Amino acid sequence: MRWHRIRALLQNYYYASLNSLDRIFDVIYWPILDIFIWGFMTLYIQGISEFNILNSILGAIVIWVFLWRASQDPVVYILESFWSRSVYHLFAAPVKVSELMVALSILGIVRSLIAFTVMISVSFLLYQFNFFAFNLGHFAMFIGILLLFAWGVGLLISSLVFRFGTRVQVLAWSTIWIIQPFSCVFYPVSALPVWAQKIAVLLPTTHVFEQLRASLAGNTINYGSLVYALVVSVLFTVIMAFVISRAIEKAKKSGRIAKAE
Amino acid sequence: MAILTVKKLRKTFPIKGKKLTAVDGVSFSVQKGEIFGLLGVNGAGKSTTINMLTGLTRPDSGSVTMFGKNYFKNEEECKQRCNVATAYYHLSHNLTALQNLKVFANLYNVHNPMEKIRELSEKFMVTHRFNTKVSYLSSGERTRLVIVKALLNNPEILFLDECTVGLDPDVAELVRDHLLQYNKETGCTIIFTSHYMQEVEKLCDRIAFMDSGKIVRVGNAHDLVKELQMQRVTLRFSQNKKEAKSLLRKEGIPFSEKGKMISFQIKNKNKVLYPLLEKFVKKKIVFDDIHVDKPTLEEYFIAQSRNAVKKEVTHK
Ligand SMILES: Nc1ncnc2c1ncn2[C@@H]1O[C@H](COP(=O)(O)OP(=O)(O)O)[C@@H](O)[C@H]1O
Ligand SMILES: [Mg+2]
Repeated sequence: MRWHRIRALLQNYYYASLNSLDRIFDVIYWPILDIFIWGFMTLYIQGISEFNILNSILGAIVIWVFLWRASQDPVVYILESFWSRSVYHLFAAPVKVSELMVALSILGIVRSLIAFTVMISVSFLLYQFNFFAFNLGHFAMFIGILLLFAWGVGLLISSLVFRFGTRVQVLAWSTIWIIQPFSCVFYPVSALPVWAQKIAVLLPTTHVFEQLRASLAGNTINYGSLVYALVVSVLFTVIMAFVISRAIEKAKKSGRIAKAE
Repeated sequence: MAILTVKKLRKTFPIKGKKLTAVDGVSFSVQKGEIFGLLGVNGAGKSTTINMLTGLTRPDSGSVTMFGKNYFKNEEECKQRCNVATAYYHLSHNLTALQNLKVFANLYNVHNPMEKIRELSEKFMVTHRFNTKVSYLSSGERTRLVIVKALLNNPEILFLDECTVGLDPDVAELVRDHLLQYNKETGCTIIFTSHYMQEVEKLCDRIAFMDSGKIVRVGNAHDLVKELQMQRVTLRFSQNKKEAKSLLRKEGIPFSEKGKMISFQIKNKNKVLYPLLEKFVKKKIVFDDIHVDKPTLEEYFIAQSRNAVKKEVTHK
């Protein structure tokens, strides 16, 4: 692994982000819209119920963005290189799969941090939601696990793009919304029907959001649950790192890297 | 010493359940500093061959030795010492010309990147488009940009896959001049694909003709081009055919006949054909019609590959 190549890839993503309105909207417009809709809806519900739910909804949304951006953005930047066919020049250069993975992970972290910052600022302005009043140690753990899992998801979808080409590009934007309902972001696992609970408890994300609610309610958090989430996320991401290197090798065999789509 | 040796390279693509053989046991070797041309009609397998040598496509079988090393075991080093340009794959559309060049200069760890970028961009006339996004560049500008990218790392082997397609003729000429100059100055080896004969004639030291995934002929560019300059003369006789044949025999010109037609090949109209026609007139040999044509590159390729097939059959 060579740092100058990782830096060059990051430079590429930096320029691409600045030059494209789509990529700017991804980290500013959509997150703000999310805060607007969920925040005002929550305020409304808050008015007709007795339970304080603003913190738990907004707290969930602002950490959900790490899973959202860090899994989706790497895929979108890979897709862009397929759309403009510059992937040809990228792979003719001495770039290693590991370097690509590291660069994409850093991209994911940076872009989720930007979206996160936008979200907590807007939430503060609109609803006086103060993120820094929470147990930040807990939040650091939650965010760390979500990022790890997000990398795995991003690598999985990227592998599918290398394997099947841009015809599976819709997965880049849709996968995360399939995971969301099972991850119990806004409601406890017990709110799900039994069949869905069985899927939910397997997902590391569910454990993170369950503990998030515990932390916000001032209850002690279940570290066993977080350790499970961490181990699953690490394993998943390691397996996906292996899967993507196989997928890229497969793409070279099928001639996808140097093929007009 | 050979800087690149390719042995029995083979690549098939699965197409609708069947196997399409794109490259069928290609072997060749290129000397340091040589400009080696791969020629052939569309679909002959030129690009697939290049893609296997730039690490974009994996061969089914075969070996590649580059810089004296097994390419597939030293891919990182080999890629660092090579580069590729083509008119068919552009740099990132969302980045400006300059941003793209900066990224690739850093990818290849170029020393003094801005200096290098400026020097090359001026040569290939892309400096005035530095701050324009690739998506707004003309196809000629995009291609020139790709060529600049391909020279950033001072490649020791430069792969050029139809890199002048879509350039204005005068620009193509300039690009060829610069590439030739680069080859002379640095001793860089160039592997070049094209179907423009003139281009190949001007640039290449040696040429390999490809057809249906096979190299059917390799040779010194000069000789092959000369062969291509042969013209075919066809004469139609309704009388005097016998006399014409004996005259041709006397002149030592091999010919073939078909019905009323006699055809033969000549190298030079002035030196061979006109004196011959004078002799026809002197001997009162009358022909009805004369037709002189030059085989196109395509015809030539096809004839070449048919000959190759014939030879193979007779060998067996
Ligand atoms: N990635 C690919 N997938 C499937 N078929 C391919 C691929 N690349 C090339 N081919 C096929 O292989 C053959 C050789 O193509 P190519 O190497 O591009 O020829 P050339 O460059 O000489 O025009 C063609 O029939 C082409 O359709
Ligand atoms: Mg081609």
